[in-house]
Amino acid sequence: MPAPFRIVFEQRAETPKYLSALVPLISVLAALVAGALFLTATGYSATDTYKNMLDDGFLTYRGITETLGLSTVLICTGIAAAFSFQMNLYNIGGEGQLYLGMIGGAWAGLALGPHLPSFVMIPLVLIIGSFAGAVWIFVPAFVRARLGTSEIVTTLLLTYVASSLLKHFINTPDSFFRAKNVAFPQGRNVADSAALSPIGDTRLYPTFFVVVALALFLYWLVKKTEFGYRIQVIADSPRAAHYAGVSANRTTMSVMLLSGALAGLGGATLIVGPFARLDQGITLLGYGYAGIVVAALARNNFAGIIVSGILFAGLRVGGEKLQISTDTPKHIGVMMQGAILLFALGGEAFRRYKIRAVRMKAVAQ
Amino acid sequence: MNSNIWLLSFADSVAIATTLILAALGALFTERAGVLNLGIEGMLLTSAITSFLVADSTGSVWAGMLLGIVLGAVLAGIHALLTVVLRANQIVSGLALVIFGTGLANFLGKPAEGKTIKTTIEPLSFGPLSDIPGIGPVVFGQDPVTYAALLIAVVASWFLFRTRAGLEVRATGDDPATVDSQGLSVATIRIRYTLLGGALVGFGGAFHMLAQSAAWHLEATTNGVGWIALSLVVFAGWRPIRLIFGAILFGFTLQLPFTLQAEQITFIPSALMPMLPYLATLIALIALSRPSSRNILGAPKALGIPFVRDER
Repeated sequence: MPAPFRIVFEQRAETPKYLSALVPLISVLAALVAGALFLTATGYSATDTYKNMLDDGFLTYRGITETLGLSTVLICTGIAAAFSFQMNLYNIGGEGQLYLGMIGGAWAGLALGPHLPSFVMIPLVLIIGSFAGAVWIFVPAFVRARLGTSEIVTTLLLTYVASSLLKHFINTPDSFFRAKNVAFPQGRNVADSAALSPIGDTRLYPTFFVVVALALFLYWLVKKTEFGYRIQVIADSPRAAHYAGVSANRTTMSVMLLSGALAGLGGATLIVGPFARLDQGITLLGYGYAGIVVAALARNNFAGIIVSGILFAGLRVGGEKLQISTDTPKHIGVMMQGAILLFALGGEAFRRYKIRAVRMKAVAQ
Repeated sequence: MNSNIWLLSFADSVAIATTLILAALGALFTERAGVLNLGIEGMLLTSAITSFLVADSTGSVWAGMLLGIVLGAVLAGIHALLTVVLRANQIVSGLALVIFGTGLANFLGKPAEGKTIKTTIEPLSFGPLSDIPGIGPVVFGQDPVTYAALLIAVVASWFLFRTRAGLEVRATGDDPATVDSQGLSVATIRIRYTLLGGALVGFGGAFHMLAQSAAWHLEATTNGVGWIALSLVVFAGWRPIRLIFGAILFGFTLQLPFTLQAEQITFIPSALMPMLPYLATLIALIALSRPSSRNILGAPKALGIPFVRDER
């Protein structure tokens, strides 16, 4: 017997404002409920876990400042991903470009730091880090623009190459980046002039405000300028753009290079901020991958990325402390990031379509 | 040069290639039906830890294998629900699956950290045949899953290019509108092959764990094999037989750093060696996308595009 009704998707002409706000909110809640069920099923206490994550991530002074500090790099990799995603270019190698940003920034801090004052060095580290990130995406951007090679796989593969490169710079005995006279291989601290101090007794660095300002600037750039308009046209219809005399190749190149530079900037903020040296621990943190989630949850809206970046930073900070305060494995934090994104993607359908069940007869007529 | 090391390393490449063949075949079926699932890496990890935990607690490798396959299909089911039924962006959904799967695997794997499994998949023995110098260990010294993977690839090729159902899969990936006008359900076909693909990826993940790694290590078990499998599908032009040769080639490149180290060939710094397979894959992908070689590739034309009947 065929089903008595079927599900019909009707494209909404215009999405009501309340839905745009409500759907992400409900998605996050639904993911939290699913997470709670999962925790209970695997024998951990959901209330303890969530309460601790909320306290340690958002509600204590120590927690919220740490969250804002961590959000700095996540907002960077978030805007890096969004900048390419909005043009249907999928740079998912932000992780590798972030490593290069660290390498470039550390090089500047070590080689130039001793000779230059702080007000020159800090911007210089950020610029050189961004430049290194752009260099790392150059080949994927070039072959994408010229040959049409899918940037998804090429940018990702280069992340593994970047990771080897970073480890090489730290582990090679006479490496420029390696700390001397230390038995365990680790990076050499950059010059004092290349490192900022945190605000007060927190782990929040002034770069947070720079990055937030940058996200707002990009929001303006995309919504209000000719360059932003060009990106929209190419994203919507490459052919129309071609006839309008917009060079898709050049825009593809510049969007991807800027995306790489933004991820590189994220790496450089770690050099002037919490790390102050090249550190192979970065390869276990996945800040670049998290940026993809941050961008997707904000639907590539640069202002929204500030919010989702802080939300995800809080999940991580709260998650990291879980193993100290409870017996829940800290990876619940990463898992919840993925779950929230999956639920948000599902919720998206309810924002874009009117979904109704109709009787089969009505369809047949 | 010690020729024994090279022979052993070739046999090892075949073992790595097995994971690649299974995972890439999973991706191939999914993509042939027009669905791009980038979540392979997360699915491999989840299946790997599931199979480890089940095999460890039941003492049966095959029970672990089965649960690994099921988990692969379940995660693929999430992708199918989101992208085929709810028409979400396939790329973002796949990436979400990678992050979710990685977190899930590490969460579940926490108690098993550093543990070694007692029972693993043993290579088959063909008696004296396996002892033939030279080709013996390579041709007759593999485990049953490796032979099964090769068989699946050959059957997959026959199925896709010689049967009516295979034609329907390929048509769904190339021209879903025509399939729809024939009265077939594009959604059903896409969901079915996304699930089948997930099961194959799960098989690969379980094999990788039970035959090769045998010890669960946080955050390092599959180490990008899922992504290499995705490139391999492009490299093989979405053809199962070509995929076998590609997998052996990639498997050899993945194995090469260890062999060179064993041989103490050090013209490349050892920390840089692990980047070789990724660089080789990158170069292969770029070379294959030159306009002159693109038409021999034959990507499914509707790959990654959700099918919406109303828009025709």
